[in-house]
Amino acid sequence: MKRRHAPPGTRVIASTLGALPFDLLCLTVLCVVGAHVPHLPIWYTATLAAIVVVRWWRRRKYHRRVPAWLRIVMLVAVPLAVVAVYGSPFGREAGAAIVCGLLVVKVLESESVRDARMSIGFACFILMSALLFDQSLPFTILVGLMLLPALATLRALEPGLSRSGWWPAFKPGTVTLAASLPAALVGFLLIPRLATPLWGAPDSGQGRTGISDRMAPGDIHSLLTDNAVAMRVGFDGAPPPEDRRYFRGMVLWEFDGRAWLPGAAARRPWPPAPVGIRDPPTHYEVTLLPSHRHWMFALDVPIDTPEEARMGPDHTLRSAQPITHTFRYRVESATDYRMDPEGLAPRLRAAALELPEGFDPRARALAARWRAQTGGNAAEIVRHALNLFHDGGFVYDLDAPPLGRDSIDDFLFDTRTGFCEHYASAFTFLMRAAGVPARVVVGYQGGYWNDFAHYLLVRQSDAHAWAEVWLAGRGWVRVDPTAAVSRVMLADTGGAAGDVGGGSISWWMPWRNRMDVVNRWWGQTVVGFDALEQSRLFRPFGIARTSAQMLGVALAVAVFLALGVGALLASLRPRAKPRDALSAAQLRLQRKLARIGIVRGHAEGPRDFYLRTATELPDLAPTVNKLAAEYLALRYAFPEPPPERIRVFVRRLRNFHPRRVVK
Amino acid sequence: MDQNFAAATAASADSRPRQRLDAALAQVNDVLVGKNRAIRMAFTCLLAGGHLLVEDVPGVGKTTLAHALAVTLGLSFRRIQFTSDLLPSDIVGVSVFDRDSGAFRFQPGPVFAQLLLADEINRATPKTQSALLEAMAEGQVTVDGASRSLPQPFFVVATQNPLDMAGTYPLPDSQLDRFMLRIALDYPDAEAERRLLTGEDRAAMVGRLSPRLDAADILALRQRAHAIVASPALLDYVQALVAASRKHHDIRTGLSPRAGLALLAAARAWALLGDRDYALPEDVQAVFVAVAGHRLIPARTLARDALAQALLESVAVE
Repeated sequence: MKRRHAPPGTRVIASTLGALPFDLLCLTVLCVVGAHVPHLPIWYTATLAAIVVVRWWRRRKYHRRVPAWLRIVMLVAVPLAVVAVYGSPFGREAGAAIVCGLLVVKVLESESVRDARMSIGFACFILMSALLFDQSLPFTILVGLMLLPALATLRALEPGLSRSGWWPAFKPGTVTLAASLPAALVGFLLIPRLATPLWGAPDSGQGRTGISDRMAPGDIHSLLTDNAVAMRVGFDGAPPPEDRRYFRGMVLWEFDGRAWLPGAAARRPWPPAPVGIRDPPTHYEVTLLPSHRHWMFALDVPIDTPEEARMGPDHTLRSAQPITHTFRYRVESATDYRMDPEGLAPRLRAAALELPEGFDPRARALAARWRAQTGGNAAEIVRHALNLFHDGGFVYDLDAPPLGRDSIDDFLFDTRTGFCEHYASAFTFLMRAAGVPARVVVGYQGGYWNDFAHYLLVRQSDAHAWAEVWLAGRGWVRVDPTAAVSRVMLADTGGAAGDVGGGSISWWMPWRNRMDVVNRWWGQTVVGFDALEQSRLFRPFGIARTSAQMLGVALAVAVFLALGVGALLASLRPRAKPRDALSAAQLRLQRKLARIGIVRGHAEGPRDFYLRTATELPDLAPTVNKLAAEYLALRYAFPEPPPERIRVFVRRLRNFHPRRVVK
Repeated sequence: MDQNFAAATAASADSRPRQRLDAALAQVNDVLVGKNRAIRMAFTCLLAGGHLLVEDVPGVGKTTLAHALAVTLGLSFRRIQFTSDLLPSDIVGVSVFDRDSGAFRFQPGPVFAQLLLADEINRATPKTQSALLEAMAEGQVTVDGASRSLPQPFFVVATQNPLDMAGTYPLPDSQLDRFMLRIALDYPDAEAERRLLTGEDRAAMVGRLSPRLDAADILALRQRAHAIVASPALLDYVQALVAASRKHHDIRTGLSPRAGLALLAAARAWALLGDRDYALPEDVQAVFVAVAGHRLIPARTLARDALAQALLESVAVE
């Protein structure tokens, strides 16, 4: 940096980064990297943290700078590493990884106060970006606390404070953060929100768990071990009995020999099949967590369509947009129903019987045998199939062996080991081969009933697949072939397997389930506070819907009220009154000097203070000395200072303008 | 720049005793190298009319300081080496029967001097200590019912070893209060120590010293110190310090009114040595630990000087 001469009357502040701010800066950056640990590769964050620690050690211990070539290498290495991992520098994870890396590079070159200030601004932004990944209450609190080192660093960067301790650095930030909470609340409630987000969190979709649009045995394996919350369901009345807690997601019509797909039938804009209801419908509200897909889950079987959703011919609900943020909707379902009992439309019947040619000859032969034995009685054929799963030596196991080209044959006659997908897939295949219209349904089953807060918590591990067969006179009937299997092997890796009735293995799952009450409240009340909720804010005051202008006015009123209260409190605070005009003038001078970072110590004598000021402002030293001599004489050499001389002093003080220059 | 500043704040108070005072200070500084502050403190005590307690380990120059002061100030000097078998009469003197006149005749003790060095005062028994301390407080001694005034000025320099050393009788708090200032000499720094090692013998140096002041000068300077302006703002500060010592949670017994008077007197004398005719808060701060350190009675086991320093830093200045 080129040194320039400061203009006269200015205070040049040492630009070198002191020990305490540097320590705090490193701590801040470690916190920021730490906040991104959950969604970035662990080796990446660990490397970044190690670089920060080494940098800290070398600068503090040996006063070493990082050579420019090394910084350039780092600058190139960060994007390269990110592209190597994510395939592209774009997207949420890749973006977070790049900015974390760049922040660490910034710390490597931070030698001056200015660098540190920039780093802190950058660090705060990156810290907030961690909330794009996780908006849960504990994580939000954690991120809020991680702001403290950043605020402490800024405080320690103030001139004259770099040598004070940690607590003097942390205290103002902590107090400020606590004091800003009411303001944050007001802003949260009143700053007008956009009905749709200006920008959505981009999601690569890679490696995301969630029910996919395609079911090939083995796909759901990862879901079974995923304890993340899928949705929460609050019922208006009593919850349905446990054996009816099937949440319909999508219906798979088409089998290509390997995988089940929604197929053409699900996409046609045909009206939903008629449903006969046999008990009072269940009313409930679903809070669906982001799945990045269109499927909306509803208790089997939904009979009305929420806003922004469309119901397919097979009574599945699809949203118009992918569900990228927590989505709440109300639905009505019938749990005891007859779906399409009158007669299956020919086009649907054809779709529900279609099988690819040239696959699984042994299963086809078995189905043909059953058809011959029962004379085509569909109910009997179903019973045959369930008996096979019950008595045929089948094992329920999350760790299913791989299957060959004829996957149904291999499963039915060789491995006989699998989970819900295998059973639903094989069962449906057998039904179709035997001439019974059948389809696969994918969704969730079971869930944890939170008795305290009265809602059903459904996790990804509750994902399930079952079958539906169409029986004459009864319509589509749900058959869960997995339930027929008698032998169960629970995988070591698994959490609660929804397939087998939600038996919990982990000791902490009950606690997690109970703690979910808080998460639910947070998710619904705070994270889910959108434009619609905001417009309802003033309903208790008789205003049905608020406009953005109205919110703006309310915000302005709140801000003015807050400022007024603050000013009132400040004026009520007892303050030492200046003894006389001389003391008042001296206090004004102290304030002028404090603004350029020369702060008088609590017990610092006036002469010591002026001496220090003269040292820090060499250009102004003669003026400062003259002012000091005048003040000390007036204050301490007279029992009663002459008013005329006080006036002269005050006038001279008015023309004293110290300034500060930060290099 | 410091000189500019001092000149700007200085008042014109130059006169003969003032110049002699500077010469006296310079002479003592020559003998005790690197002890400027302690020597200035000793002069402060002298000009404020108090008595000085020097507390430190043996061998750092306590006695040399007293000797150099005695010669330089031009006062009559006596020295008492306190031991455990010293009696009060060894200090104040005794009446002996004079066979020639057939009457008792008072034989004055060493206390009848203008500058008295009470060496290792805490080696004597409390009874003997109190004989001296009474003399210090009253400015007179009473023997056989007759009061005898001590010469003026009367300046006691007592030395004592740190209290944790063997064979010492600690001075009670009430007696400590009679010393205006308590100072420590401390080890010399490296430069001063080198000058000490390479320079000539200190005893010989003291032997060659000549008086720079006399009793009349000292009394005049004392009067001038007393006339130093203490403005209402300064008195406020002194009062705030005294009040804070009585409210401080680590202090069982705060500063007495006598301590407040001593603080003000010492601050005035310090200002006089700084060539100013008014006292600044800095003068109070300079002498505060020496005045208050031995007078504060801590509530817990705390270093008294550190406590006094903490107290000083807790009170705001105008």
